[in-house]
Amino acid sequence: MGCSLSLKTPKPKNVELSRTERKIIAAILIQKWYRMYVARLEARRRYTWTIFQSIEYSGEQDQLKLHNFFNSMINQLSLDVNGQPKIARAFASTQRPHVIAKETSDVIGSLDDIHIESTYTGPHLTLPITHAQVKTLIQAFKAKQRLHVRYLLELLNAARKLLQQQKNINYASTSISKQITVCGDLHGKLEDLYMIFHKNGLPSVDNPFVFNGDFVDRGPSSIEVATILLACFLASPNEVFLNRGNHEDHVMNLRYGFIKEIIKKYKNNAVKVTNAFSEVFSWLPLATVIDNKVLVVHGGISDHVSMKSLARLDRHKYISVLRPPTITEVGGLDSMSMELQRLEEWKQVLDLLWSDPKSHMGCNPNTFRGGGCYFGPDVTDSFLEEHKFQLLIRSHECKPEGFEYNHNGKVLTIFSASNYYDIGSNKGAYIKLSGPDLQIHIVQFLANECSGVRKLTFTQRISCLEASAMQDLREKILALKSDLLEEFKKHDTEEKGTITIGDWCSAMETVMDVDVPWRMLRSKLVKLNSDKQVIYDTTFEQLQILHRYSENGDSVMELLYRYKDSLETIFRIFDKDNSGYISMTEFQEACSILIRHTSVSLLPGQIKDVAKSLDLNKDGQIDFNEFLEAFRIVDQRGLDYTADHLREADSEEEFDNIDTISLASCNSGMGLKRSVEPSILCSA
Amino acid sequence: MAASTDEAKENADSLFNEIQRKITEAFDIFDHESNKTVDVREIGTIVRSLGCCPTEGELQDMLHEIEEEENTGYIRFEKFLPMMTKILMERRYKPSPEDILLKAFQVLDVEMKGYLTREELEKYMTEEGEPFTQDELEEMLSSAIDPDKGTILYKDYVSELTVDEQ
Repeated sequence: MGCSLSLKTPKPKNVELSRTERKIIAAILIQKWYRMYVARLEARRRYTWTIFQSIEYSGEQDQLKLHNFFNSMINQLSLDVNGQPKIARAFASTQRPHVIAKETSDVIGSLDDIHIESTYTGPHLTLPITHAQVKTLIQAFKAKQRLHVRYLLELLNAARKLLQQQKNINYASTSISKQITVCGDLHGKLEDLYMIFHKNGLPSVDNPFVFNGDFVDRGPSSIEVATILLACFLASPNEVFLNRGNHEDHVMNLRYGFIKEIIKKYKNNAVKVTNAFSEVFSWLPLATVIDNKVLVVHGGISDHVSMKSLARLDRHKYISVLRPPTITEVGGLDSMSMELQRLEEWKQVLDLLWSDPKSHMGCNPNTFRGGGCYFGPDVTDSFLEEHKFQLLIRSHECKPEGFEYNHNGKVLTIFSASNYYDIGSNKGAYIKLSGPDLQIHIVQFLANECSGVRKLTFTQRISCLEASAMQDLREKILALKSDLLEEFKKHDTEEKGTITIGDWCSAMETVMDVDVPWRMLRSKLVKLNSDKQVIYDTTFEQLQILHRYSENGDSVMELLYRYKDSLETIFRIFDKDNSGYISMTEFQEACSILIRHTSVSLLPGQIKDVAKSLDLNKDGQIDFNEFLEAFRIVDQRGLDYTADHLREADSEEEFDNIDTISLASCNSGMGLKRSVEPSILCSA
Repeated sequence: MAASTDEAKENADSLFNEIQRKITEAFDIFDHESNKTVDVREIGTIVRSLGCCPTEGELQDMLHEIEEEENTGYIRFEKFLPMMTKILMERRYKPSPEDILLKAFQVLDVEMKGYLTREELEKYMTEEGEPFTQDELEEMLSSAIDPDKGTILYKDYVSELTVDEQ
């Protein structure tokens, strides 16, 4: 046959390879090529995961940094009577008014002035909540109905009253049910909760559940998820155990979407609903112990945590776990020791809700997240031994398979929000413990598994995910454009516009606060010249950040964009009546807070200009939602680069059509990439 | 003269450093516990993701070189790094060019049809050479079979396999 295969296999000259031999050589060649192809795909899948996770944690770090800053400000202001009372008042909303709260039985006020309109078509609730009503709620939310604010507040009120009677630590027993189910983070993803109920049944005497925190934030249906869980708890208080997560926290909710969702769904009553939820969250128990054998907590443990002192502390003090409780009493001989005790208690709660297991021995500050700690296998061992537990179940971290074992199988992470970073990024899972020895059985799932849409191949799935991760990464890069340029130029002493690959990577490592494999990503982020030098301007692909309502220079907008999420948190604190508007002065104050905290250089004059340009109808008020949503990333032709990224904007409608939307957004994502840089998708 | 030798040496050093950093990055994304070890089953993925194209047999040889005396199931970075650096510096296991891969498919296409049937590919990949596992086979078939024709149009498939990352 005409074609000869010139492989570098040693072969005797003059002897033609037999057809069989040639086939074997051909097969080996194809097999090794294919295995390399798959390995490259796998590496892409891994770094995609690294990008998503790194961006998620850098956001949390920002949030905590900002919070430490708030703390020092509050302390400073309480000493300085001539300080800015406006800021102090704004922060007051995150301070527990616990003296008042204890006296008034009802923080949300009277419900008498809230009537059920005759036009209301949603579900009706009457207390006490029964199993039948839980089903009604589930059906109603499936049909995208909204629960009337009066019913919601009544339910929250009832939940708070019942939670108040609970201890800090739940004790669950399987003596009757012979089994129990443990679920991890749900993050406002109703379809995952429905999947769990579908596979595992609703909570009942025979079917107890532990929900291990992080019910809200990030996903589009936080209200519905939290409402159903609380309704389940009210209907089966002895079979449903709710643990607090780090997102059952007012300050986290300001940044990660829950408050925004409340405002969107309960506009006029948003303040009441927010306060009612915050109250409920602050009464959630901190841990559940199953049959005295298994401890279930949201984050983990540290060498500070002791069950004894956890049982004693006043959990209700922490409306936000992110800050230590403020001291109300002044003076007194024992105030110092009381304060120390308070701090010690607070640190325990923080560690419980925020920590992650690591393989390093001992306990180290959690630098990646910025809060809680990393606890090592030795910490786990001594803690389990001391309390005679066999296993620690925790959640808090998204895992590709929905679960993961650490510390020789003594720590089990469970995460129940599938497709957490994007469609196809991860499975969700829950744990079933059954029999007298609490045998572990893990059930994995994907929320929208059975779709009529053509199944994507492995390659397509990874390309979709990668495109979405790369877009997130590009936005982060763009937000640091001027810092990066400055760093690149340090390496480019001759002003050639090019630097070595090594220098480019180390500049990215220095400036960016995400820990990703820059050398692997390099070919997707920048172009090389013929000498294999990085043309560093191509890092930004001629994209730029624009703002629809403001014509201020690149650098000002870049800074505001970079801190957009932190600004949103500050705005929401200022916006005490949840109107969505803040005054020009407040806007400027928010920016100055940011400047002081981040040591960015922005002149007061520049902020004032931005503020002015945002006051569209010149009434001194700024619609900050509009301000935040008006950022656009455009290329030099002015084409909008952000468009498909806003697909979550209409998350409510997303529910039913999630399969079609996922594919559509994939395709548009891919199309988008193709128009910007053709090589991204073709590379394998 | 001396200057250019220095320069050459500097270049070699920076190449060496870059290669080591590249290996570190590839290793790290598979190091779940961040303790500079990876599961022995992932070594093949790491080696191949660094652009090498060894056979399974060659990979086994590499593993023998770096595995621990007792069978821990893990490979340590300090052993992997020098071996991998050497391989990349010497440019070993470079994948053969696209036209050779195409020729390999043509060898299997005995009747010169321009395509392989599902059965043909399945037979060669599981019976010849270093056979695929069932999972590998299914994954390959799912992406190699043309959804309209139901056969493997290997010319198209080769270009999908060989798109270069670099």
